[in-house]
Amino acid sequence: MSLNKICALSRPVRLGRSLFTARVPQTRDYLHHFQSRRGIRSSSRCLAYAKDLFLGKINKDEVFPYPEISNEELDELKQLVQPVEKFFNESVDSEKIDRQAVISDETMRGLKELGLFGIQIPEEYGGLGLSNTMYARLGEITALDGSIAVTLAAHQAIGLKGILLFGNDAQKEKYLPKLATGEHIAAFCLTEPGSGSDAGSIQTRATLTEDGKHFLLNGTKFWISNGGLADIMTVFARTEVVDKDGKKKDKITAFIVERAFGGVISGKPEDKLGIRGSNTCEVAFEDTKVPIENVIGEVGGGFKVAMNILNNGRFSMGSAGAGVIKKLIGLTAEYAGSRKQFNKRLSEFGMIQDKFATMTIYAYVMESMAYLTAGMMDRPGLPDCSLEAAMVKIFSSEGSWICVSEALQILGGLGFTKNYPYERYLRDCRILQIFEGTNEILRMFVALTGMQYAGNILTGKIKEMKKGNIAAFVELMSQKMMNSMRTPDLGLTGTNWKSSDVIFFPQESAKMLESNVFNFGLTVESLLSRYGKTIVDEQLVLKNVADVLINMYAMTAVLSRSTRSICIGLRNHDHEILIANTFCNDAHFKNNFMMTQLRRDVPENDGNSIKKIAQEVLAKRSYICSSPLERTF
Amino acid sequence: MNVPRYLLRVQCIGCAPIFFGTGGQQVALFARAHLQPSAKPNIYGQILRVFHRSAVCPTKGGYQGDYETALKEKEEEKANSLITQDDFFERMGGDFKSKNEFLQILDAFIAKDVRRRGHVDFIYAALKKMPEFGVQYDIAVYNKLLEVFPKEVFVPRNYIQKMFNHFPRQQECGVQVLEQMSTYGVMPNVETKVILAEVFGLQSHPVKKLRRIMYWFPKFKHVSPYPVPHVLPSDPLEIAKFSLTRIAADLDAKITIYQYPSTDLTETGEEVTCPYIVGIQSPDQHSLLAKHNPSRPVFVEGPFNLWLRKKCVHYYLLRADPIPAEEKVEEEIDPELFSPHQSLFFPRLLNLDLELDLGDDYSFDVEDVENDLVYAMCMVGKGDEVTLSKWISGLQESCPVLGQIPTVFRIQSMNSSSDVHEKPEHSEPNQNEEKEPERSKGVQ
Repeated sequence: MSLNKICALSRPVRLGRSLFTARVPQTRDYLHHFQSRRGIRSSSRCLAYAKDLFLGKINKDEVFPYPEISNEELDELKQLVQPVEKFFNESVDSEKIDRQAVISDETMRGLKELGLFGIQIPEEYGGLGLSNTMYARLGEITALDGSIAVTLAAHQAIGLKGILLFGNDAQKEKYLPKLATGEHIAAFCLTEPGSGSDAGSIQTRATLTEDGKHFLLNGTKFWISNGGLADIMTVFARTEVVDKDGKKKDKITAFIVERAFGGVISGKPEDKLGIRGSNTCEVAFEDTKVPIENVIGEVGGGFKVAMNILNNGRFSMGSAGAGVIKKLIGLTAEYAGSRKQFNKRLSEFGMIQDKFATMTIYAYVMESMAYLTAGMMDRPGLPDCSLEAAMVKIFSSEGSWICVSEALQILGGLGFTKNYPYERYLRDCRILQIFEGTNEILRMFVALTGMQYAGNILTGKIKEMKKGNIAAFVELMSQKMMNSMRTPDLGLTGTNWKSSDVIFFPQESAKMLESNVFNFGLTVESLLSRYGKTIVDEQLVLKNVADVLINMYAMTAVLSRSTRSICIGLRNHDHEILIANTFCNDAHFKNNFMMTQLRRDVPENDGNSIKKIAQEVLAKRSYICSSPLERTF
Repeated sequence: MNVPRYLLRVQCIGCAPIFFGTGGQQVALFARAHLQPSAKPNIYGQILRVFHRSAVCPTKGGYQGDYETALKEKEEEKANSLITQDDFFERMGGDFKSKNEFLQILDAFIAKDVRRRGHVDFIYAALKKMPEFGVQYDIAVYNKLLEVFPKEVFVPRNYIQKMFNHFPRQQECGVQVLEQMSTYGVMPNVETKVILAEVFGLQSHPVKKLRRIMYWFPKFKHVSPYPVPHVLPSDPLEIAKFSLTRIAADLDAKITIYQYPSTDLTETGEEVTCPYIVGIQSPDQHSLLAKHNPSRPVFVEGPFNLWLRKKCVHYYLLRADPIPAEEKVEEEIDPELFSPHQSLFFPRLLNLDLELDLGDDYSFDVEDVENDLVYAMCMVGKGDEVTLSKWISGLQESCPVLGQIPTVFRIQSMNSSSDVHEKPEHSEPNQNEEKEPERSKGVQ
């Protein structure tokens, strides 16, 4: 009894705290604390919002309230944003960058002066020392020019992240100050000719010299952003490592390689479709002598380094995409409001309005997801947000493509010409679906990681079922009966309200999310029981699983954000509610359809036909249907 | 079902007189075939049903003998009656036999007699002679042949004629023409249909046969996923390339011509011919060969037959015995690359104690039979060891390891094809062949 009382007493306190005070501001103190000791990961806190969705649970504490930054931080950010915005609007000539396929020195100097090369490097090393949330905000602006955004991202989101996350103090001391000012530019060298997304087949080799003080690096890396500009490179190579049993094994190791070490040859910059101003080229290493102190982390621990760098760098694509779309909405709205056709303004046509609504919804959802994830990552204890970050990347890269294409469509033929920036944006944003892990690979990652998590917990139960345990069977059947009778309640809505519950204000949408999550849990269980570990090979199934999950995470982000907006009375919050409801409604139906597809033996489940079509075509490596004009007699 | 039944029916048209002759026996037979309980069925009605009986009938016991003897008699009879027409072809054809001559003969027959006397026999004879003149694949010739039938004479004029088999011998002959067309895979065209309709009317057996052909032929025209062209290239090199790509099941397989055919005169005036050597090897085969254990021999075997329509070509294999189980090296899975928590982009395997559910396991339980390893294939102008060792040394250029592998030649001579079948496939190489294993070393 006494325990209950304590709980009851503590509830209002928790509710009050969660609703009206921000949690993140308190963490600002932690932030400084842990940023200086980022390398230590003993107290790794396991964040599991997305993973819990696989079990049909909503882990509210992780996503509600929507993360905030403190007033001081906000002021600081506003002061920072203003000159950057001004610089991008006035001094950056994107059309010229695109045409000449190079960012001019003047522009580069401007970027360096603004400190944009060291956004996340701690202040003690001469950087801005901003949190992920603030980095995301700056990303909105830098994204206005794709080439600059990619150059900056290759520099600090992946290029120097290795030193930042895993480097020792000496390495940080030595390299970060110059990288922060942009005097040195960093690059990330993982991809090789023989291994695109399959990093396991790395051929570049580092051999220890006889004196044991240096590694000799040999090999070629492909598609290295900033490859031609970089002075400092994070390079991954195979090294021979003696493992516990005394056997020699090849393992991946990460190195900091300076161009000054010699033997670094960069090829001709690639001529690309988009982000033409960014420098992408081949980098070859020929007997490059790397001192042993330049190993990042430990010898043979390169995989962990690469994984963490990549997994943490992706979230900012959400805010970047949103930044571009917001700008395009402004530009196209101007056009649609002034152009007249059939004695009506373009903006009065339903189909044009549809496009604006689409763009607005995508921008809103992308923003919500990106800042939610950034906020999660800014919490103390180095949370693992790789799943969330990957989902943000998938959603926003595809959303950007759709929205930019819609924006171009509003202008019709004009949008197709080089007189307007739309075609450049379209070309630039195509790369988003490809780099930092293609969307297909990331979908596999998201789905399989979740499946593994759910599998660890559900295996016992499923095995009992399969053994024919009658008790387990009866339990399942009764559960199914129960489920079909009641609407799922995961504590988001007021139906079974407890004072500790947070309530998402768009109630109907919250219910939709609940029902989706609940059904998703059941779907995952049935999938695990059907496929077990062979689900690794069921890519079409995993694609649907990932898509459902992404939609659910997007719904969560939108609901959380709009709830906060209502609570604190942000301007135009009714508009946000409208957007949230519209998106959730749409996503709910899509999710239901996809989960139906995941069921066994439903007509919608046409995975096998799709596979067969592809297999028949691929066997001949060409389109095999006869022309409709062919005759047999 | 339609086609065999129809073909059978066509045969039965020919057999009709036989049935009349041995009526009593037939009745008993049909009573069985159709499971008709009545003990004394109407003889007349039963015989009419000849045209609609099921395919079971001809295999029935007592009737079989009669049918065959009757057929034999009939053939003899036919042979007798055809002598004159055969002569006609011999007389007119002369030594040179081609499409033109054939058409001339047809024209001559048509012009000879306005009544076209003996045209049925003539058409039978012409059908027989078509392959001889090399026109068996030509639709125009068949149409011309059908023109030999007089028009409109055999068209039934009233429903009674339509009901019965009007001019059976002529109709049967028309069916035979179509039959031969389908044997050679010749698709009738509109002209064929018009002619047949003019000659026999739309309700006749030949037109029905034509309709059935037009129903089935287009459906089967592209049924083969690996079509062989009607006209094969004349160049043996081209044929070799075509055949090798046809056998190799890999689109990546690369064809290499190791030697072009050529003929040289030596100083002494002797003729030296270099036979062509064309080989094919896929990248997979190449990498397998590179991994071959040099202490185990590889075998050059052949010739094996490949039929391209009527042409038989021969090919040779470079193969090895399957790798014994103890030599197989299992590739170790690096947990860092594959395990769920360590993999860089996505987990390549899940660490779960759950298997594929029975209901979703669609894989057949097929016993894994290990086959020999085939490393490369070739076709040569001359299947002797000298030529084939040139092929091996050609392969060696891209795969140097072949130089260290003992190569055993197990070649059957082309002429004594019976040897190929007599010799057990997996016998150890006999002593003669054992002499050869180090040959390829010398080449290096």
